[in-house]
Amino acid sequence: MSTSPGTEQVTAPAGGGFDEVIHAPVRLRICAALDHAREIEFGALQALLDISKSALSKHLSVLADAGYVEQRRAVRDTRQRVWLRLTDTGRAAYRGHVAALQRIVGNAQDQ
Amino acid sequence: METYEGTGMIETAEALGMDTYERVSPDEAAQALAAAESSRARVAWSGYPWWYWVGTGAGLGVATYMVGLSGHWWDLPILGVTLVLVILVAYAASKARGVCEGWLGTAMTRREVSVLYGPATLLILASAEASKHASWPPIAAAVTVFVLFAGTGLAMGARAARTRRP
Repeated sequence: MSTSPGTEQVTAPAGGGFDEVIHAPVRLRICAALDHAREIEFGALQALLDISKSALSKHLSVLADAGYVEQRRAVRDTRQRVWLRLTDTGRAAYRGHVAALQRIVGNAQDQ
Repeated sequence: METYEGTGMIETAEALGMDTYERVSPDEAAQALAAAESSRARVAWSGYPWWYWVGTGAGLGVATYMVGLSGHWWDLPILGVTLVLVILVAYAASKARGVCEGWLGTAMTRREVSVLYGPATLLILASAEASKHASWPPIAAAVTVFVLFAGTGLAMGARAARTRRP
């Protein structure tokens, strides 16, 4: 179980690869973007997802609390940039979640 | 908690006390997978500065030209310098767009890699073969490779940027 102060309650992975922390639409898109890159800078991720800074920060803090995302600060052109990456745990959780979603869709098609 | 548009499954399921895995409908799962795919495509194609496609296309064009002129002592040094310049352009573009995919990684699917690099690779090979048998102007192949690569990259990048988030 992990929570983000002052925001929504999220629950821990429910088994079968399905992960409720990741399943929220914005968090799924964050994980999908980070899964295909080694690191993405905060501003670039915001532009890629086309969401506000505050929304991105909120969802990133939930993912960080769950141990799925970590950040690195680096100075470039005299400005501090935040680079984000999926942890190994986060990558495994995301891929397990995608596999669970594919099973749900696949099962429906089989029936 | 947010839900995927139009499904309304999460609240309903919570009210019914269902297990998380059971309560996700196939429609919601399909929407979630589409959203994930959309994010991947944006990482793969959007945000590249225009000079990345032009610079890399020019590098491939130079490589095509040199292959077409094979047999000169300066081929390898020029190809080496071109390779270094292409790597520097890729590094600068990665910094500029704020996305680091790693030297060997890419967010593109195999099909997308084939679409981007396939025609250029085929033309380079064809140009090398044609230069042995016939009078083939290597500059024509070089310009074609440049136009194909830069055009494909710019078009796919523009398309990814236009794609609205789900």
